[in-house]
Amino acid sequence: MTPALPLAALGLIDAAFSGFRAYAGRDARIRKHRAVLRASLRGLAVGSALLLVPILTACAVLLTATDQSRAYDRLVDGGTAYLLCIAAYALAVALSLAAYFVLPFRASTLAMVIGLGPLTLLRPLVLAAGCTVALAAGGWPSLLVSATAGAAALATEQIVHRRWYSRPL
Amino acid sequence: MPQFEISDLITVTDPRSLRRAPVRRDDVLRTLAEAGNRRAARIVGTLPVDGDGVLDPAAVDRLLIGVHTELQRLSEEMRIGERVLHLLGPLLEAIRETAEPGARLRLVDIGCGLGYLVRRLAATRALGPGVELIGVDLDAALAGEAARLAQAEGLDCRFVHANAFDLPEAATVYVSTGVLHHFRGPALAEFLQAQAASSAVAFCHFDIAATPITPLGAWVFHRARMRHPLGRHDGVASARRAHSDETLLHAADIPGIRPLVYEPRGLANPFCTTLRPLLGIRPHLEEPFRRAMGRASRRLVGPERFAA
Repeated sequence: MTPALPLAALGLIDAAFSGFRAYAGRDARIRKHRAVLRASLRGLAVGSALLLVPILTACAVLLTATDQSRAYDRLVDGGTAYLLCIAAYALAVALSLAAYFVLPFRASTLAMVIGLGPLTLLRPLVLAAGCTVALAAGGWPSLLVSATAGAAALATEQIVHRRWYSRPL
Repeated sequence: MPQFEISDLITVTDPRSLRRAPVRRDDVLRTLAEAGNRRAARIVGTLPVDGDGVLDPAAVDRLLIGVHTELQRLSEEMRIGERVLHLLGPLLEAIRETAEPGARLRLVDIGCGLGYLVRRLAATRALGPGVELIGVDLDAALAGEAARLAQAEGLDCRFVHANAFDLPEAATVYVSTGVLHHFRGPALAEFLQAQAASSAVAFCHFDIAATPITPLGAWVFHRARMRHPLGRHDGVASARRAHSDETLLHAADIPGIRPLVYEPRGLANPFCTTLRPLLGIRPHLEEPFRRAMGRASRRLVGPERFAA
């Protein structure tokens, strides 16, 4: 099974969260559900565009390979390893988010302190780890594709922030 | 070495005249150099000055509003509004029980910054009717921005650039979040004594809980959530400056005031309690307050807990 679809789904979800993070801390209003939604959609739009880069990179790798079948298998191996790495991270984020929103304020603080806060800092490291396992499982072409995917994921927040939220609203 | 927060050094307002004093960048840099804080000096070194070396007040205001806006995100994520309401609700219930029927209550947030707490209380109407909500700050830019934000959302609260103790109307309850650690040495007791000397019946000041993991937690959070280096620096510095439970209770041990700390160290999981309050209530309020708190009142302790 190709890991492309779950990877794309995770990439799009991550892009929406990146949009939120780009906005967070820039709007001191109390009621801001619509602004949060708008920021998430902006992240989704920018992230969708940026995700084309790893997709095109993967296509280029396949088209230029001498043995396309083998190159495809290697990309699947690398992509699967990459997916497992970031899926574990995504699961930790999802559990922390669920705990944050469902539990009373003391427990939700715990979810924030030991979950969501540190996980934000770990995000670049997780992507780097994903690239490493992709290299180990699928060789240099997989590293190339996973590195562009990681760079696209990291760039989304920066682009949305600079484009729309460089100053307090 | 003394710990400084950059924001305390780059803007100085006289609490009596409310006049803002010009701040020379070199003076701030000298203070930070003497404290051995090179990182803070590097941050201050990037701030713009005029021809006389005085920090550009407009740039400083913009910076502080930006940093406080990011700081509000931390308050939102840590559910500070709910945490404060958890205590203020029962406290106001006890005050209403002992006050004249229909008496109007006035809650004054000292050093309100952008007024997140007051605006949230106004937006949610969580304290019920008959509670006037006022935010006060010595920083004109922050108080002005808080007023603008409240007006933009049509909130029933107001913000004043003033000294909280010079307001024409007396407060019923003084509150604050993240302010106490700014008072060092005898200034902390003087700050609390001024409230005890007023006609207020209680104060409730939330500040960073001083635990061994607090500076590390502050580093992680400010690194993850704050963008400007000043916010990151001051977040960790404030955690290092947090007062212990004993220090707070000792400073609030004032005649006519019953000092209490809620969820002190040892009675609360430090991962769940990032901010905890120092309360000072008139003695007649303690029994109805504890009753209104219910089982949670077990976490409310006075200086006797720390007596040798």
